[in-house]
Amino acid sequence: MRRRVTLGRALQYVAIALFMVFLAFPLVFLFTTAFKTQAELQSPDPQLLPAQWNLDNFAAAIERANLVQAAGNSLLVAVVTTLIVVVISLPAAYALARFRTRLRKLATGWILLSQVFPFILIIIPLYLMLQPIGLGNSLAGLVVVYVVWSLPFALWMLQGYVASIPVDLEEAGAMDGAPKWRVLISIVLPLLAPGLVATSLFAFIGAWNEFFFALVLIKDEALQTLPQRLALFVGAEGQVQLGQLAAASLLAAIPSLLFFALIQRRLTSGLLSGAVKG
Amino acid sequence: MHRTPRAAMTLAAGALLLTGCAFGGGQAPTATETTDPTEEVTLTFQSLAFQDATIAATEEIVDSWNEEHPETQIDLVQGSWDNVHDQLVTQFQGGDAPDIIHNEASDMAGFAHDGYLADLTPYLSEDLRGDVAEGVWTTVTAGDEVFAAPTLMQSYVAFANTAAFEAAGVEVPTGDSLAWSEVREIAQQLTGDGTYGLGWGLKSPTAPFMNLALGEDGTFFEVDAEGQATIDVGEGELALPQTVHAMAYEDQSLDPVTLTQSGGDVLPGFLGGTYGMYIGGSYLAQQIADTAPEGFEWTVLPPLAGSAGPAQGTSPQTLSVSADSEHVDRAAAFIDYYMQAEHLAAVGQGDALIPATGAARDALATATEGQTGWAEMLASGEVLEAAPFQLAVNYPQWKDQYATPAFQQYLADSISLEELTAQLTEGWESIQ
Repeated sequence: MRRRVTLGRALQYVAIALFMVFLAFPLVFLFTTAFKTQAELQSPDPQLLPAQWNLDNFAAAIERANLVQAAGNSLLVAVVTTLIVVVISLPAAYALARFRTRLRKLATGWILLSQVFPFILIIIPLYLMLQPIGLGNSLAGLVVVYVVWSLPFALWMLQGYVASIPVDLEEAGAMDGAPKWRVLISIVLPLLAPGLVATSLFAFIGAWNEFFFALVLIKDEALQTLPQRLALFVGAEGQVQLGQLAAASLLAAIPSLLFFALIQRRLTSGLLSGAVKG
Repeated sequence: MHRTPRAAMTLAAGALLLTGCAFGGGQAPTATETTDPTEEVTLTFQSLAFQDATIAATEEIVDSWNEEHPETQIDLVQGSWDNVHDQLVTQFQGGDAPDIIHNEASDMAGFAHDGYLADLTPYLSEDLRGDVAEGVWTTVTAGDEVFAAPTLMQSYVAFANTAAFEAAGVEVPTGDSLAWSEVREIAQQLTGDGTYGLGWGLKSPTAPFMNLALGEDGTFFEVDAEGQATIDVGEGELALPQTVHAMAYEDQSLDPVTLTQSGGDVLPGFLGGTYGMYIGGSYLAQQIADTAPEGFEWTVLPPLAGSAGPAQGTSPQTLSVSADSEHVDRAAAFIDYYMQAEHLAAVGQGDALIPATGAARDALATATEGQTGWAEMLASGEVLEAAPFQLAVNYPQWKDQYATPAFQQYLADSISLEELTAQLTEGWESIQ
């Protein structure tokens, strides 16, 4: 019996290790490519590791694409989008999950329906609406678009978290004499932390990586976001400045990795506590 | 509260209606001119320059213009080839396109047809008009209006690993042209154990097949003055795909893997000696020169020729002016400045592309004298001409939805020549 358990566990570890290698390889490839020279990248005898770890691609990418400015724009847009999405979706999700009115069905139906519109269908109407009110070539306009685009799914996700909190807990608080706002702040909000983290991650990464809306809306170079600048490394007929693109992508990935690293512990602990309760 | 979903539905319906309007084609904007020549204006120029040297050359042209023309400042914006079509569709619809637009002729023809580009006929100098081949002007003319100035052109050339030729005892061809039958013969002679005579990155096969078909008298389309085209896929159109297919699967002298790769993907195999010849856009010469290992010996072979000669179609890179621009005359003046021989030669050298004007080709020939491949590439520029597909209004849609998948399947040996013909023809008819 013990042998079977040990063998099973070993196979699990092997499977996890293989999965990790599968997930990690593109990142390792990206990382090493960023340090290779153009000649190494075109070498008929490709090696995983560069012959010398040189930083030329990073210097060229930063200079050519003005990455620092673009990163600042992306960060601003992603953070503001995340805040607005969380602030709007939190009370809305609570209302959707707790108040069982006829509106609830309509609203949830609309939320799902809004997800079926592809980007390409709404981009021209959006552009035509934003242009006359001066939001066509501005980061504020981009934030508006990202909030509108992220909100339905964030709302849907968060209302699931609210629904999973037993109403009994709120009723117990009320029985002890706590006013509604106190119940919301002291009982519901802490239990919603994993949901808020997940929603924030979704909104942040969505805004950080989004390319097409930014491409169409932002014309001024000083306002361009990181994904727009990364596109400059791809040319006609499949030409790619691979080394510079890898270096720029690596730099572009750092803030979202940091953001994820900062808040993923809360996400994990939240999921575990939910699992135990379930 | 109950109004919210209804309002949202109304908005969505409005959005859908707007979308319908957008794709239905809007009113053509009217071109305008600066009334006061001393008025200071700033124009936006979206450039798609890609190679570092071309970006630098473009910046230099803009800087020198700005210095010489304080009344007309150019704001240079860097765009990307990868998404320029989608970006322009939206910007034209919103009336917010850049004043001066860099793109290629076949993509701009549709915008010209919809009235989004200014007619440059009154603004282009006589010298410039006379210095660009008539066939090239055809690629940027819709009806009797010139919607762009052609800047740089690409030809398809064959690169040769001269050491591989020597090792196989094959003489490197010289002369005015190189027939496809000779390419096939040489490829067989160069093919050996683990090596192929030819590598050709045909991941995007439509453009090379359409352009090189002219050498076999294959035109694919007949286009009337309105841009309405009828398709005809016959012997001339199919000659080159058949040759490629035969080389890959009968002769086995062309590595079929390369047919699924881009031109750049095949380059390491050429530099490593796996392929004795390598066909691709002339721009690849720059990458070969930059990345070839020390001692690698290469050259560019004479212009590729079909049964009708070495003719090739080209879709030149272009500069256009948005019809929405408030200063079409000044934008056109900048284009005239950009087209000066030394400017065009500088951007052409950076991209390893062929300038559209004779004066710029001469300047480039002088600047690159003695450098491998340039003389042959510039010679191939002399045989470039208009191909009818460039003026077919729905060509970009047909290319992406039907032609490219059909050619890819044929090159993968998944469909027959008859099926290829049917897919190309029926695909075109379905979008008319």
